Amino acid sequence: MNQAVLNILSDKKTTSLQEKDTTISAQRTVNSLVEAEVNKEYIIKEVISEDAEMVNFLFTLGCFKGQPVTLISILSETFVIAIKDARYSIDADLAQVVKLV
Amino acid sequence: MKVALAGNPNSGKTTLFNAITGKVEHVGNWSGVTISKKEGQIKKNIHQSEGEIIAVDLPGAYSMSPFTSEETITRNFVHNEKPDVIINIVDSTNLSRSLFFTTQLLQLGIPVVIALNKNDLLKKKKTTIDIVQLAEKLGCPVVETTATKNSDNGLDKLIVKVLEVQDDKQTAPFDDQGVDLTDVKSVQDFDTKRFEFVKNLVNETETRQVKSSAQTKQDMADRILAHKWLGLPIFAVVMWSVFSISQTHLGPIFADILGGWIDGLYTLVESLLGDSVSPFLSALLLDGIIGGVGAVIGFLPLIMVLFFLLALLEDSGYMARVAIIMDRFFKKVGLSGKSIIPMVIGTGCAIPGIMATRTIQNVRQRRTTAMLTPFIPCGAKLPVIALFAGVFFNDAAWVGTLMYFAGIALIIFGALVVVRITGEKESRTFFILELPEYRFPSVQRAVVSTLSRAKAFIIKAGTIILLCNAAVQIMQTFNWSLQVVAEGAENTSILAGISSPFAFLLIPLGFGVWQLAAAAITGFIAKENVVGTLAVVYGITNFINVDELALVSGGSDVASIMGLTSVAALSYLVFNLFTPPCFAAIGAMNAELENKKWLWGGVAFQFGIGYVAAFVTYQVGTLMTTGSLGDGMIYGLIVCLALVAILLSFIKKGDKEEQRKSALCAA
Repeated sequence: MNQAVLNILSDKKTTSLQEKDTTISAQRTVNSLVEAEVNKEYIIKEVISEDAEMVNFLFTLGCFKGQPVTLISILSETFVIAIKDARYSIDADLAQVVKLV
Repeated sequence: MKVALAGNPNSGKTTLFNAITGKVEHVGNWSGVTISKKEGQIKKNIHQSEGEIIAVDLPGAYSMSPFTSEETITRNFVHNEKPDVIINIVDSTNLSRSLFFTTQLLQLGIPVVIALNKNDLLKKKKTTIDIVQLAEKLGCPVVETTATKNSDNGLDKLIVKVLEVQDDKQTAPFDDQGVDLTDVKSVQDFDTKRFEFVKNLVNETETRQVKSSAQTKQDMADRILAHKWLGLPIFAVVMWSVFSISQTHLGPIFADILGGWIDGLYTLVESLLGDSVSPFLSALLLDGIIGGVGAVIGFLPLIMVLFFLLALLEDSGYMARVAIIMDRFFKKVGLSGKSIIPMVIGTGCAIPGIMATRTIQNVRQRRTTAMLTPFIPCGAKLPVIALFAGVFFNDAAWVGTLMYFAGIALIIFGALVVVRITGEKESRTFFILELPEYRFPSVQRAVVSTLSRAKAFIIKAGTIILLCNAAVQIMQTFNWSLQVVAEGAENTSILAGISSPFAFLLIPLGFGVWQLAAAAITGFIAKENVVGTLAVVYGITNFINVDELALVSGGSDVASIMGLTSVAALSYLVFNLFTPPCFAAIGAMNAELENKKWLWGGVAFQFGIGYVAAFVTYQVGTLMTTGSLGDGMIYGLIVCLALVAILLSFIKKGDKEEQRKSALCAA
């Protein structure tokens, strides 16, 4: 039964995500982590924000140009991402900052 | 000799520190638990050296980068205090990030020993690390450790290595000579190469069978526990269970036993004193000291069970998920998800909670969190909750749960008000939190942490609470002419004289009697005093096992002695929990807020919230239960409306400020 619930939950996640993607971009080009597909590895194009300290902080975690990143899931409007060998939860504003190739 | 423990957040530094020093510093399975450095002597049985070795536990850091403020304490310590050796604790399941910091530490010219920690998790993940090659390439010793294990944990081997290398000259595998350290761009270019170096090193030394970005069972668990709609109800059920076990089921069983002992002590001392001792002294000792302190200590078992359960929760990794659930709500009111960390720590004591706000970068968010953290019921408030839940609500678990959630609701409301007053409604901030892996919580660690908190509780009860109870007993025994008050004339005592004017203000809240006012006042010295003072002024020595009560106090139960309805009791509880915390916590607020306007604004806000919340609880509750209005409704309403009006005027001012700012931006 639990498995069933899990499946429903993850299905729901993926569909809502796809809907989001199509509304933002018809060609499904992914600009930033906000639009990323779950479970797919992307390469970071750049990290752009006026908050230089945040950009530097992300750098120390290994989140910078050329590095791989995977979106694990979206939980309560935050994005769980895998960088290097760790999981982080970031909010949508921060996910927007991480541009993908 | 001085050894510094440095490493990434949640790599297990404090666990390792506790293991080698025998200390009991607070540990949690999430980032940012340690906020200031802690020192301790390494136990003699794990090192053979003559002299003493001091270990210094530092807050976690991801880098030594001069451009991030998170790591300031660590950076300054390593630069200024020059430890003899650095133990770099590395989470062995995350080499590719951790070794970045390692290569920076190796540049400092201080010998480094790497503790490859969480070694037990490697096997589970089917990962192997070639430590011989790793040590060779990095140019420093590498020791596998599992700091959470009691034996065969590699810690003695680690200390042996520390002693070996203390005079060594290690060569950094990667050096930043010739790099302009003041220029962000050139440092970043260089650090990109550093990450490249680490990546190659990891490729050569680590064999992973499962890619770390693959979906795991843990990720599935997250989908439920931190689910948009399920997350909050699950958290409520978890908290309710914690209270149910500690206050309804397991706690009272232990409390009954302890209560019996305290009653025994009371009877023993009473018989030892005999009739020859002056009634004043015997009352001071029996009712004031044994009775008052005993009433507080009587709640120790309930609190220990609760602390134990909270320690298990913290150890499991669940708290970081709570931060995710809360971020959505906190963000809407201008706080950061990180604000939850001080609040979780604040469940133990508000002081370290308030101090933990240091890790929040944004000044307004930091100050708002420091000012609102005391709304979360701390350990000292638990006896108060337990007393009222026990006496008026039949030990129901919903009382404590409701108080926690009311605390969270008031924090959200408070943050909303602050963001409007400061005129920063539109400002945006980022939230990022490392998600620790879930793990099966350690019963042993929870027991150790519970015992250490219990010890602190007993010490407090035996010192500050004892003194306060003695003072209360003396003040209620004498009148202003320093004569013993006659029976039936208790209203003439010094205590009654001091508390009566306050009691007058409390009539609209449903508890306008001097005894309850006195207990609320002593509560500002320490919240446990509320229980102690109530015990003294009502002559009740035991709130939990009340069979013997009729003999001592003449009433059949505590509720009738206090003369409160359940609604008024709830209102009194609300008042004590949500008015300002104890003076020590206000002192911590002062230190962290660094601004008098914020401090006094904060304290006034807490008073206002506590007053209005208690007023609403009492008046609405009375209307609902009896169909009529409570005492002093009209003039209480006037006070509350005045408070709301003041708040609105501040908000209006803030809104103008916001408009002015946006106009400025537009121009």
